[in-house]
Amino acid sequence: MKGRAPSMSKHHDLPGNQRVVVTGVGMVTPLGTGREEFSRRLFGGEGAIDVVRAFDTDASASRLGAEVRGFQPREFISAKNLRRMDRMSMITTASARLALSDAGIAVTAENRDRMGILFGSAFGATDVTVQFEDTLFAQGPGAVNPILVPNTVMNAPAGHASIELGFRGVNVTVTHFAVSAETAVAYAVSEIRRGTADVLLAGGADILSKFYHEALSKFRGLSPDDGEPEGARPFDKRRNGYVAGEGCGLLCLESLSCARKRGANIYCEISGAGLGSSPVPPTAWPRDPEGFRRTFLKALGQARIDLPGVSAVMAAANGSRVLDAVEADVYEELFASCADRPWVTSIKGAIGESFSGGGIRACALALSVEKGGLPPTVGLERPVAPLNFVTGKKVETNLRHTVLSGISFGGTYVCLVFSRCAK
Amino acid sequence: MNRKKRIVITGMGTKNAIGGNVSEFARSLEEGVCGISQIDLFDTSEFRTHKGGQVKDFDPRRSIPEEFSRKRMSRADALSMAAALEALNDAGLYPLPENIKENMGVAIGGGAGGLLEAESFYAEMLKKGKERSKYSRLSSLFCASSSDRIAASLELLGPKATFMTACSAGATALGYARDLIMGGHADLMIAGGVEPMCRLTYAAFNALKSVDEDVCRPFDRNRSGLSLGEASAILVLEPLQAAQNRGAKIYGELMGYGVTCDSFHMTAPDDKASGAARSMRAALADSGLTVEDIDYINAHGTATPVNDQTETRAIKEVFGSRAYRIPVSSTKSMHAHTLGASGALEGIVSLLALAKRFVPPTIHWRERDPECDLDYVTEGARSMGLRAVLSNSFAFGGNNTTVVFGRYEGQGAVHE
Repeated sequence: MKGRAPSMSKHHDLPGNQRVVVTGVGMVTPLGTGREEFSRRLFGGEGAIDVVRAFDTDASASRLGAEVRGFQPREFISAKNLRRMDRMSMITTASARLALSDAGIAVTAENRDRMGILFGSAFGATDVTVQFEDTLFAQGPGAVNPILVPNTVMNAPAGHASIELGFRGVNVTVTHFAVSAETAVAYAVSEIRRGTADVLLAGGADILSKFYHEALSKFRGLSPDDGEPEGARPFDKRRNGYVAGEGCGLLCLESLSCARKRGANIYCEISGAGLGSSPVPPTAWPRDPEGFRRTFLKALGQARIDLPGVSAVMAAANGSRVLDAVEADVYEELFASCADRPWVTSIKGAIGESFSGGGIRACALALSVEKGGLPPTVGLERPVAPLNFVTGKKVETNLRHTVLSGISFGGTYVCLVFSRCAK
Repeated sequence: MNRKKRIVITGMGTKNAIGGNVSEFARSLEEGVCGISQIDLFDTSEFRTHKGGQVKDFDPRRSIPEEFSRKRMSRADALSMAAALEALNDAGLYPLPENIKENMGVAIGGGAGGLLEAESFYAEMLKKGKERSKYSRLSSLFCASSSDRIAASLELLGPKATFMTACSAGATALGYARDLIMGGHADLMIAGGVEPMCRLTYAAFNALKSVDEDVCRPFDRNRSGLSLGEASAILVLEPLQAAQNRGAKIYGELMGYGVTCDSFHMTAPDDKASGAARSMRAALADSGLTVEDIDYINAHGTATPVNDQTETRAIKEVFGSRAYRIPVSSTKSMHAHTLGASGALEGIVSLLALAKRFVPPTIHWRERDPECDLDYVTEGARSMGLRAVLSNSFAFGGNNTTVVFGRYEGQGAVHE
């Protein structure tokens, strides 16, 4: 990796040429809060899927969820700011604090204007919106609570996090269904490369709520869609839908030069990104593998690596019949001629599908590259395809170039290459 | 910054309160037409205010050809689709040539998305019960739906993203689209914003007491709040070289943009105006321009007491004595505050000002505020040639975005 040219496409001028590295991870997830707990339980092969406790699921066809439990916002957020925050803002702000602390970065008057956040959410604070609409319809516009207003907008978590932690640079909230967090990370990488920020937190959050769970159920995405046992089984022949999850995961990104200068621990480099689409009907998962295949290859092209260079894939598969089959097809075809086929794993069997879970998955992949190991695909017993799946328990293996695959219903793809960075 | 690929705007489309298309919009801006009046999209009888900048007489069946599915399209989807088709036609790219679909994408600043329709669904669900409600009606609730619909209808294979930074979302989408082209992720981008009116937004701004009961009066001493509006505004962005090669007409150049955060308060701007000032400085730096190059500032100018004062202070901080010599206007006085669409809509305003050599006015202004003492172009549109325009968009959450557009001279330049 040493002396390697900055990853950029050959025939295009990039606005900047900074290499971008991950120096911190912060998360509030169904598998725990903060790097230690999350990492221990994730690599320990634990799953966090259980019967939902926070609300009744009587109106849903599913009872399961992957909930964030035992989270204590007061450990991370001042009382003054806490009272203005909704739950999504809390888990985001806590994750932001954890990521900065993991990176060993303190926000000061000198660095705050060069620090910021790129935040992704698929659905935003549906709990607040429903509460707001309930008041509006039941009691009329005079009764709505002004303090709720900013929290109905999706940029609230990033705004609250900036107020609590003090960073004043680039601050953007992006959404694009199941690739919301991956899009945020790709944009953050581009911002650091063009030099508009030194440090950016990047990832995303979504939360479970009663209305949201019911709506997902009515859209027939949740397991079980066939009367068989409910559960999350990515890439398994018996999969019958996904289990809804929640949580937040944020990477701390900075330029390689900045990280080296301060002697930071570097998890990995983000060496390339591919972004693409394919036309599918609204809210449908893509059935044609071509869009994802092309985007996956674009990301490798940007990172200037070829297929045999890929050691592992953090897959998007969540237990959906269509999504998992299409994704497996693409890997099977792409890597058919590779002597050493990459490991493939999906952690959505452990943390469920939270749509902006790309943030948590990005943290998991950064930890994997650093540790030289991969967490297993919980729930996978009978693989849908002859791929090199991580099942049962973690594998220990040196990872050089890995890919975080993001695939969304509506036909949107974001793939990011996480590469090992020479110390 | 010579290395930079220059990115130009070759097509524009809009639906807003003072224009059903870009040429009508341009005429209204020059004439100082007010689009703020009684709204009829939903019943406002229980609300404190009743006016807004509604898109009148919008019929998706007239604006969107039959070949595109209109099934379950929200008002936001339809408004943005109509504007995208207008922009592509304007750019000479409709029907789209097959060979550009692969590297063409969509970036949209969103706001309420399909909430207007979701509210009708929700009201019905409360009455009829969950079992008898059609949840499929929620399929276009979320903002990413609009870019998905546009991209799928046109069979685009490039990147998609949707921005949710409230009132700066449309501006950020333009900047991101430029970066995607510069970074080699796309050759051509459809970028802009869309905001439909809905009850939640209307109730929210009323609850915050930030809406003027009458028409908004930006920079006026007795201003008492904004006027809510709705709009779609879509631009076609491509590299200058590509535009010249295909003989396209060119409105102007997207020179640069800046994004900052107040880190101060969720709904009030930073009292020292630092976030807004840093946003303008970042955009100038990214453009490679100085304050001397800017000939017009398209203000955020919402007409809330605090925004206009803070923005004026920020302009003075950044521009120094030049602040008094640059025209500054808020076109929100005409088309109202279109929230998630506003950055893109005012991008169109900026590009029309550059191409048609005029500064649009701030209408409804009556009395000077000692704290707002710049040249707000209150006497009506002003004819003048402009070299570069700076457009501000500041949002709840402390999200600030400033975009700088430059005049383009040369092959394909639109000049009138």
